[in-house]
Amino acid sequence: MSLSANPLERRLQLAGILLILGLLTEAICLFRARPLSFLAFIIIGGTFLFLGLLVYLLSLVSIKPPSPKSDV
Amino acid sequence: MALATALIIALVLISIALIGVLVARPGLTATQGGKVMAFLVLFLLPILCAGLGVSSELERSKATKFCLSCHIMEPYGQSLRVDDPTYLAAAHFQNHRVPADVACYTCHTNYTMFGSTKAKMAGLRHVYVYYLTKPPAPENIKLHEPYSNRECLHCHLGARSFEQGAVHTADADLLPSVKANKVSCVSSGCHETVHNVGTLNKMKLWSGQP
Repeated sequence: MSLSANPLERRLQLAGILLILGLLTEAICLFRARPLSFLAFIIIGGTFLFLGLLVYLLSLVSIKPPSPKSDV
Repeated sequence: MALATALIIALVLISIALIGVLVARPGLTATQGGKVMAFLVLFLLPILCAGLGVSSELERSKATKFCLSCHIMEPYGQSLRVDDPTYLAAAHFQNHRVPADVACYTCHTNYTMFGSTKAKMAGLRHVYVYYLTKPPAPENIKLHEPYSNRECLHCHLGARSFEQGAVHTADADLLPSVKANKVSCVSSGCHETVHNVGTLNKMKLWSGQP
């Protein structure tokens, strides 16, 4: 799998990868009720999820509107 | 594993699969429906999963087995099984005066507005001390602050055994002082034998299931 050439799609892919890493961390941590799992969930999983959401939201607001076409 | 936790893990795995589809085929987001799907999958579902996960983790961190999973806490777990009714923690644990599955949390949280949050912050400090410093021996562990009667009175206040107990009413000044937290419930001469992990090796342990 390769990243898309389209900048918007590439950012969405990056957001998706970060979110998958965060959710995988969450799933692994939920298997064990231990203090270190709790911390890993909050620190590692939380960071990946936060970054993933941030990249997704940034990708939405950074879309350049299509250039206006001349009617003439 | 609890059913709720299993359901959250299932939701997380479904979310991962859906995100994986979008990562593998980002062209799907070009259509109107694709954009809605991207919003659901890349925004709403992760937030939902994270919220449920945090809630589940916080709930599980109240469990007795969670507290006792640190090696240093093992003697405190054993002290809940001392076969002697004068051991306060053991008497509460074995007689279901506190829920056995959340025994530590029930007595060691603060029954105030942000008590649960404070208890969690104290727990983070425990993890720091345990993993990143040289922790004290179990028998040398001290409370951050003197044990407040508020935590005892949360359950005992108004109970007949507390309000009308012979020892409690022998001195007319005692109960008002206890309720005002001027005399500690665990002070010398009252209920001072709580965990006493330093003398556990001399004690007989109860082998039953609470």
